[in-house]
Amino acid sequence: MRAEALLDTRSSLDIQAVSKSYRVDGKPREILRDIRFTVEPGELVSVIGASGCGKSTLLRLIIGLDTDYEGDILLDGRSIDGPTADRGIVFQEPRLFPWLSVEQNIALGLDSSGASPAEVKRIVTEHIEIVRLNGFARAYPHQLSGGMAQRAAIARALVSRPKILLLDEPLGALDSQTRAYMQDELLEIWRREKITIVMVTHDIEEAVYLSDKIVVMEPEPGRVCGIVSIDAPHPRRRGTSKFSALKDRVLSVLVRTQSAASAGLVRSHPAAQGGIARRYG
Amino acid sequence: MLLPLILPLSVLLLWQIATAREWLAPQILPSPLTVFWTFVDLVTSGDIVEGLAISLRRISVGFAIGAAFGLSLGIAMGRSAKLEQYVGPSLRAIAQVPSLGWLPFLMLIFGIGETLNYVIIAKACFVPITINTAAGIRNIPVHYVEVAHVLRLRRSAMLFRLILPGALPTIFSGIRLALGHAWIAMVVVEMLADTAGVGYMMTWGRTLFQIDIVIVGMVVIGAIGFLMDGGLRWIERRLRRWAPVHA
Ligand SMILES: Nc1ncnc2c1ncn2[C@@H]1O[C@H](COP(=O)(O)OP(=O)(O)O)[C@@H](O)[C@H]1O
Ligand SMILES: [Mg+2]
Repeated sequence: MRAEALLDTRSSLDIQAVSKSYRVDGKPREILRDIRFTVEPGELVSVIGASGCGKSTLLRLIIGLDTDYEGDILLDGRSIDGPTADRGIVFQEPRLFPWLSVEQNIALGLDSSGASPAEVKRIVTEHIEIVRLNGFARAYPHQLSGGMAQRAAIARALVSRPKILLLDEPLGALDSQTRAYMQDELLEIWRREKITIVMVTHDIEEAVYLSDKIVVMEPEPGRVCGIVSIDAPHPRRRGTSKFSALKDRVLSVLVRTQSAASAGLVRSHPAAQGGIARRYG
Repeated sequence: MLLPLILPLSVLLLWQIATAREWLAPQILPSPLTVFWTFVDLVTSGDIVEGLAISLRRISVGFAIGAAFGLSLGIAMGRSAKLEQYVGPSLRAIAQVPSLGWLPFLMLIFGIGETLNYVIIAKACFVPITINTAAGIRNIPVHYVEVAHVLRLRRSAMLFRLILPGALPTIFSGIRLALGHAWIAMVVVEMLADTAGVGYMMTWGRTLFQIDIVIVGMVVIGAIGFLMDGGLRWIERRLRRWAPVHA
């Protein structure tokens, strides 16, 4: 009964032939070209790719901050139209309001939920513990390290229990110990809440450790050049040969595109695109 | 700590020397001590207290009216680009005309009296507060505005958690500018077109050829203006306690 109810709350995401251009000096500059992939309900998908290949832009489109694009983005089969409560995002920068304390910032995530002040207090305190910011509830953002601020931002996105969570390099600013802890915490939240997660990262190991599926992108303009499925069960052990093999597979997709791009040989990868089309088209 | 006192104390010393050596006739420049005793007289007789009470009531009421309208219109303009396009340029043009430039015109409309004072003060406060509030809101980093959209903040949280704190420094410089202008405008109106307040007290001193009264008026007006600005800065610091302290 409970499992079924939870199953219903999971969201699927369909990115269908999405292209996006920005106007720079009056001329359109193509940022994303024909992006297609699917995120199944409850999946954890990583998007990986060189800096500037449009990963953050893609998340902006999915969250609904920018509606000026071609193609379709479907959430549970419906076209998205602006931000809603069932999608949460952690931006690449923490973006905490500097004039609010940590707990006030996190409580903003519940502002539209209609929760009572007592509930808000309880949920915020609970999440401060989850992101290991105990003792910093009353601190102001300028008193936090970059990693702590990013953890507060994660809590702010989590409190409203979104069905789909978008994460833009959320662990990039953390030291390796906290990072490993947060990765496990993220897995725990993902499992417990049965949410769908799309996470941008530039860390192959992180992607392999966490994801069901890794979308590999290449730059100029941003395209999907390969999708690697990771079928290994959790918890995954980083040192194993299987883990290394998976890392190598992702790396080979990345390197292939990079060497091709630097040699100026090809601009797109028909094989990779074809592969995706077969699977998701 | 003592640094800000060096200049006024030097002026006081120079003033004392000038009067002791009678560089100027005592009728034109009375000695600091004379002025001090005049001040004490004016305080004990109640003249200055009465005048100040009237002036302070005027500035409070006029400021409250001007600030209320200024904040409301400023917030509306900061949030709506269209409204800004409609009224922004006109307001900035009006801001170029000194409040006192309106005096002859407003005297014709409202006549001489309390209403005129309130209108001039409110107008002097309204314009800079509107312009600064609107500018402060528009300059809130778009990153924060995006967070507000994504979290779908309600109106009240939008206003009290993002817009007002985000625009606070700019709003406060508008308020300080406004109060400074309004205080000056009020004193001048009292000098030119009124029969009460500290400004009138100075005119009265001048017509009696009692320059000491005029000087007491100048010092009191300066001191009150200084204290009001200091008070506003103190309030702003209290409201911005979250900010990192710069040495
Ligand atoms: N508002 C904008 N106007 C013009 N170009 C932009 C804008 N935002 C991002 N870009 C450009 O789009 C490209 C992709 O940016 P981004 O999505 O941030 O990449 P990533 O997150 O993969 O590093 C970059 O070249 C960036 O300069
Ligand atoms: Mg980015």
